[in-house]
Amino acid sequence: MRTVTSGPIRDSHCREFLIAHQNSDGGWGYHPASPSAVEATAWALAALSPSRQAPPLPEVCARARDWLLQAQRTDGSWPPFPGHPHACWVTSVASQALHLQGGSPQAVERGLNWLLNAWPAEGSVWWRLRQTLFPSRVTRQDNSLRGWNWTPGTASWVEPTAHALLFLRSLPAEMLSPQAAKRRQLAERMLYDRMCPGGGWNSGNPLVYGVAGLPRIGPTAWALLALRDHSERAAIQMSLQWLEGAYGAIHGPASLALAHRCLSAYGRRVSPLASALGELYSHNRFFENVLTSAWVVLAQNEEGSARVPTAGEAPTP
Amino acid sequence: MSFAQPSLMPSFTRPPSRVAIVRSGSYDCDLGALIFEALQQFALPVKGLKVLLKPNFVEPDPDGIINTHPAVVGAAREAFLRLGAVSVRVAEGPGHERDTEAIVETIRLRDFLGSLPNVFVDLNLDEVHAVNLRTRASRLKQLYLPRTVLEADFVVSLPKLKTHHWAGATLSLKNMFGIVPGCCYGWPKNVLHWAGITPAILDINSTVRPDFAIVDGIIGMEGNGPIQGSPKPSGVLILGDDPVAVDATSARVMGLAPERIDHLAKAGALLGHLQPDKIRQLGESVASVRTPFAVLPAFQKLVAANGTG
Repeated sequence: MRTVTSGPIRDSHCREFLIAHQNSDGGWGYHPASPSAVEATAWALAALSPSRQAPPLPEVCARARDWLLQAQRTDGSWPPFPGHPHACWVTSVASQALHLQGGSPQAVERGLNWLLNAWPAEGSVWWRLRQTLFPSRVTRQDNSLRGWNWTPGTASWVEPTAHALLFLRSLPAEMLSPQAAKRRQLAERMLYDRMCPGGGWNSGNPLVYGVAGLPRIGPTAWALLALRDHSERAAIQMSLQWLEGAYGAIHGPASLALAHRCLSAYGRRVSPLASALGELYSHNRFFENVLTSAWVVLAQNEEGSARVPTAGEAPTP
Repeated sequence: MSFAQPSLMPSFTRPPSRVAIVRSGSYDCDLGALIFEALQQFALPVKGLKVLLKPNFVEPDPDGIINTHPAVVGAAREAFLRLGAVSVRVAEGPGHERDTEAIVETIRLRDFLGSLPNVFVDLNLDEVHAVNLRTRASRLKQLYLPRTVLEADFVVSLPKLKTHHWAGATLSLKNMFGIVPGCCYGWPKNVLHWAGITPAILDINSTVRPDFAIVDGIIGMEGNGPIQGSPKPSGVLILGDDPVAVDATSARVMGLAPERIDHLAKAGALLGHLQPDKIRQLGESVASVRTPFAVLPAFQKLVAANGTG
């Protein structure tokens, strides 16, 4: 177990930090006073959305929602920052945050449609031809199983795939077309294909030159959250076991919050978050990182609710 | 940014580069004094400048094998401050691990730098600006790059001496992948792989060419680097005012032929010197510190004849 050398931080600390550092345009940057970013805004909005653990913040959330709506591109996607030329993975996070907040069904649907038509590059004709002529000697993975990429024109990776799955999982069944169901199934299979041999996930290379990749906290937590409906599967149980074993040696607050949230979501017993976070906060004040703060709030919410929502029921990102 | 040398210049017109090899058997000695002494040989124009140190932080690794050792980072910072730099910040954007704080806490960076929030910058989450790349080796043309890097006066690449299962070796040029921000390109920055590792290395370094490089070869990594290789005690720091020359010298120390490492061979045309006759060797000779590194079978072709580099 970790050694606690300083007291716990208040449960409301990160929530207050987020409220205090919303930019005047309604968004959040990755750090206080930095330009508003889609990902930071989406996670902050998700963290501050109504929950049983905290009073609602209608004005703060409405401004954030408006900022996200303005940042959405005409094709339904979101770029990392307004004005950037490329759509990217933040589309999943922004769509889900808006869905959670409610009141923007058209924007959510446009985000969904963009995601369903966004394919990673490993499925292109050029890629398949190259793989046929020059099969990789480095990695061993089934490239027919496609999820989502970080940026257009690149390959599927674990985390963006998990974010897209979490978004799809949060939507009511009537919003999901057969195409959505098909993509969801394909992406879930892709995640299992990319699982490290001993359980858990890294960014997406389970075997390189035949050597088993080492799982990492973040990708493992995201993948497990995305596969929450599969809790009985042996692969999930093995990965949860790895995460539980790694939990005591986590040195980063973002990883700690994600792991805590994930284990709580699966009903695993985890030591209270506040004590461990207090020690980490005393080191670097979380580098005033908005994502970290948002993930801490979401972990605290999960800790407070302590139950596993079912698909389509509770759209917590 | 101001550069000690122009980034792009045909090799035949570029003045000879200088590379120093300094022996150090462990991280426990006075590395600050050692690096300061070595830097004095270069008479670097850093007085009053904002210096940026770019180490190679990849994963939370308590054993000190994967990442540039924090003792080297701290010592370099101390040395540049002693040389009169107005500020020396340490900045990195890890390629796979989103939780940068987990890395710097695992390696206990603050034990060597003091309070981190004012010194360390996570380049993955920094403010970004669009920059047109100065070369077209890849199809990228433009990248968003972190403000902290763009505003630095003097950039120092601080890699670990390691083999790399994609690039052959990862040294000061490959280390510059870490300035590309994850907030725009993800974890990993897969757009660079799809653009081609060698062309992407060339384009990034032509645009933000390190003014200086210090390679941590006190304990390197051989075999299946950059993460799952084996520790390789080499007992050296390799420093120089030309990142290509530093990498070429480092490769020779590893028993590799730099002209067979694709990105180094190509960087030798415009970015710096590859050939020994264009590199003024300071300190120890390559031959006296050469420590052949094991490589994966796919990279056996990089091994120099008789391991002499």
